[in-house]
Amino acid sequence: MHTWDDRQPIYQQLAERLAAGLLDGDPAEGTAMPSVRRLATKHLLNPLTVNRALQTLDDEGLLENRRGMGFYVNHGARERLRAAERQRFLDKEWPRLRERLRRLEISPEQLNWETT
Amino acid sequence: MSAQNEKTDYLVEAKSLSISYGSKRAVDDVSFHIPKGRVVGLLGHNGAGKSTLMRAMVGLARGTGGLTVLGLDPCNDRVQLLQRACYIPDVAILPRWARVEELISIMSGLNPNFSADRARQLLKRTSVGLRDKVKTLSKGMMVQAHLALTAAIDAQLMILDEPTLGLDVLSRKAFYEMLIDEWCDGERSVLISTHQVEEIESLLSDVLMLNEGKLVLSISLEDMDQRFVALSHDSAVADAMAAAHPLLRDRTGPGPAGNAAIFDGTPPEHVMALGQRVRPNLVDLFVALTRKPELDRTQF
Repeated sequence: MHTWDDRQPIYQQLAERLAAGLLDGDPAEGTAMPSVRRLATKHLLNPLTVNRALQTLDDEGLLENRRGMGFYVNHGARERLRAAERQRFLDKEWPRLRERLRRLEISPEQLNWETT
Repeated sequence: MSAQNEKTDYLVEAKSLSISYGSKRAVDDVSFHIPKGRVVGLLGHNGAGKSTLMRAMVGLARGTGGLTVLGLDPCNDRVQLLQRACYIPDVAILPRWARVEELISIMSGLNPNFSADRARQLLKRTSVGLRDKVKTLSKGMMVQAHLALTAAIDAQLMILDEPTLGLDVLSRKAFYEMLIDEWCDGERSVLISTHQVEEIESLLSDVLMLNEGKLVLSISLEDMDQRFVALSHDSAVADAMAAAHPLLRDRTGPGPAGNAAIFDGTPPEHVMALGQRVRPNLVDLFVALTRKPELDRTQF
């Protein structure tokens, strides 16, 4: 039952989880997010926390709050998320990865890009 | 906000409430209020006064000072109150000889706000059958049935005294799922006491913490994140952290944050620089504010 850590507030952790879903097209752009009540029940969270997570994604332009109908996934949300993730990878993960590749003397030719 | 508005917005309001059993003060000068649409956790060690406070809210214990529940005096307006507030005590038992459908009939006769249809609909969520006899139900099913019967009362406030005590993890999960899905609608509130602090934290909107009858914390979880500062740090700076007088120091938990110190309010900048700010969790605050050194984290 304990799936939340102490690194950051729970609403942010839920927002990240939901964003990861959006990146995979779940739910698809233009369609509705699950209701606050459904998300609260599924994740065993206080509805206020769920609302705050959805509001965060709304503030980031990924969702739209349609009065009385709940939150909908904005068009372009996936591309936006992918762009942000790409930038994060290039800024944070790639320098570390490149460093490790150099230390291990792995050349680009040795890296298999094909999925097996 | 005018005094009139405040009255209608708060489902429970306690002002300097004290409750004694003989010479023992079980609840000692507590003041708090519960607005609508909240999930409030009532935390405290055994004997801290949780059950006494809950009993007072439904007119089963009388205190001094002010206590208003749904605008009513629980002792004087008890019959009226129990039509709009429901309560599962920690010693709750359903009659063992009864079938579930018989309990529904009994409840229909007892409480005008009880809906038999709603009870049947809620029971469909569970593995409890209407023809089942109470004595054949497992503890988990029994508690589920009890919650279904209680949530079928069209009330504004639910008071649950350690409802998940003795339940396995799956039964607890099912219990909380039903509570969120079927009860929490943004208008109704629930007050719930438990020792499983870690487990219930994410469900709560507010927390009331009792220590030896005194209210040591009354705060929303949102404000808790702001007010308390938890700093995760290396063991190398543990002494420097301790010197800054945190509420709790050197917490070593199973969580990823590892060593952490908790401060009430923001510590000076040079202390902040020693660690990384993490989320202050309720278990740590519970340990810090209800000092019982013999208890350790593994008990939660």
